Amino acid sequence: MKLLSSYLKEMKIAARGFYFYIEIGMAVLLLAILLLVISETSISSSKQFVYNDMPNKIAKYIKDQSIKDGDARLADSTEFKLKPAKFEITNQETVETTAYAFDDEKIIELETMEMLDSDSGELEETVYYVETEEDMIRLAYGESEIGATAAMNPRGKVSYTYYLQGYETDRLESLLYISHSKSPGVINAKKDRQVVRTLGVAETLNNRQNLVPLFIAYLGSLMGFFIVLSYIFYDKAEGVIKAFAVTPSSIWKYLISKIFVILTTVVVSSSIITIPVMGGQPNYLLFYLFLLVTTFALASLGLFVASFFDTIAKAFGVMYGIMITLMLPGFSYYIPSFDPLWLRFFPTYPILQGFKDILLNGDVGYVLTYALVFLAGGLALFFLADMRFKKTLTV
Amino acid sequence: MISVKNLSHSYSEDEKYAVKNISFEVAKGETFGFLGPSGAGKSTTQGVLTGLLKLQDGEVSVAGYDIRKVQNERFNKIGVSFEQSNVYGKLTARENLEYYAKLFDVPTRDPMELIRLIGLEGKENVRAGEFSKGMKHRLTFARSMLNNPELWFLDEPTTGLDPAIAETIKDIIREETAEGTTSFLTTHNMFLADALCDRVAFIIDGEIKLIDSPKNLKLQYGQKLVDIEYLANGKIVKETLKTVDEQERKCIGEIVNNYEIRTMHTKEATLEEIFIQVTGRELIYNETVK
Repeated sequence: MKLLSSYLKEMKIAARGFYFYIEIGMAVLLLAILLLVISETSISSSKQFVYNDMPNKIAKYIKDQSIKDGDARLADSTEFKLKPAKFEITNQETVETTAYAFDDEKIIELETMEMLDSDSGELEETVYYVETEEDMIRLAYGESEIGATAAMNPRGKVSYTYYLQGYETDRLESLLYISHSKSPGVINAKKDRQVVRTLGVAETLNNRQNLVPLFIAYLGSLMGFFIVLSYIFYDKAEGVIKAFAVTPSSIWKYLISKIFVILTTVVVSSSIITIPVMGGQPNYLLFYLFLLVTTFALASLGLFVASFFDTIAKAFGVMYGIMITLMLPGFSYYIPSFDPLWLRFFPTYPILQGFKDILLNGDVGYVLTYALVFLAGGLALFFLADMRFKKTLTV
Repeated sequence: MISVKNLSHSYSEDEKYAVKNISFEVAKGETFGFLGPSGAGKSTTQGVLTGLLKLQDGEVSVAGYDIRKVQNERFNKIGVSFEQSNVYGKLTARENLEYYAKLFDVPTRDPMELIRLIGLEGKENVRAGEFSKGMKHRLTFARSMLNNPELWFLDEPTTGLDPAIAETIKDIIREETAEGTTSFLTTHNMFLADALCDRVAFIIDGEIKLIDSPKNLKLQYGQKLVDIEYLANGKIVKETLKTVDEQERKCIGEIVNNYEIRTMHTKEATLEEIFIQVTGRELIYNETVK
């Protein structure tokens, strides 16, 4: 009864404050972005600037062949502005460095070709054909994209020299090596002789759905952590914790009532995003279970942090540090090549993976295991926060 | 109702004591004043007695409970009115009282009755955040009465109130104590203590200097004086004479017998004057009236 009274009181206060509406408003805004701005299919494709160091006839033949095979299509020519630039290029094989300096500014029009996925026909890459190697290098530098020189080797085969930015992953470099180590015909012939056994149908999230785990994790965990801190510091400023401490009710009931408000808010905001985007696809029982335990754990962390400080100003540094730390796994989620081992120990890493698994109806064991870990961690943090609050109530 | 033996408390948990080895007892039904200037140790003592501060050294029993043992149910018998008003600004006066009333395990008073008692009738549905400092203070005071406390901690109950409201609060305290409530009044306002307390303790630098009733203190430390204004040979004469001096007592008799008395008042030393006399320190306080 006391707990229910505290919860209802907290809900009333939350409804009269602005944090509750920030959370709900944020969910509505994110949903609008998902539905109106993000398309279901990926529209991202890479660019490449190519200089054909070969007779025009051969270059034209290769292009025509690609169009004929359905691997490419001609697009309208594209204008590029070349600006003054100074840079160096290092040859990876000889380790020789060549300096380039351009003082002029000019506009050039390039023949444009769109390379298509052979299975789906979707746009994979846009290739711009540059007339001089110098302009190609300059464009690759200026546009921060890959440049390449295609030439005929003495054996009559096309060889490529790539101009990379230097920050590309080893994986991409290896891919470029592999894709040109054999002629396309040989690769296709090898592929034809391979026996493929399908182990299962791998489901994937579309471009829009893929953002849902990220939004849910941030709205639940991060906002849960931040809002519970804000609520506590608001109460500390009003002094109402002391007033509660001289009633027969326990401090843990006061603290858990705060968490219940966070859980209610997060369930509402997450539903606003998830249900319209995912429909009936995910296992919602598992989804809400995972949402509740992960939010509980992060809100308990917020309570624990709040117990060390009197005001939000004093806690700001720690609060900011924790929030940035919790955001880091989001980069790994979107850039699969950035997946260091240490990042997996950050709580938001398994939260993101867990939500992704739930939305894909994937590994239930993984989700349940981490749900237990978060529940245990949340309870431990809540217990510590309760102890700290009992000790730090001063007159 | 309260028993304190050799209580010491240090915030830094070293030799810098905010309260040092104090002992006193408060009987059931008594109004006990804990008097001293800011930083004397009043709030620290009240903090330990109410359980907001951990007991470090000494033995303390409050409302029959040993406060070393955590027993939240003791707060069913205790009411605490804080010096700094602490109510939910986003809840109305009524919602504030209704919420806290639900936290007790004993029958509680009707929130509206308390709102009327403290003069906030008509404001019950106004959010406390919109209240003046004095109104919030009255609401904090009313909240401390919700559970009909047997033991009532009052920390500067009239601070920030205008004289008329302060008088109402004093009357409420008198009525409650008349019905048997034990009160522990923490204040630096000697007039309030004089008006309400059966006994007072003077605390300074964390140590109790003296405990007695205001009446005894005045008898012991007060210098009895009489201000006389009389007509002598058509002129008004004013004199202040000591009643404890035999020569001056005879003089009072002569004036009364031989002249026309216009005014005559006995004059007692105030509690504040006695405090200065006993402790050698002044009580500095500024009451903000809003």
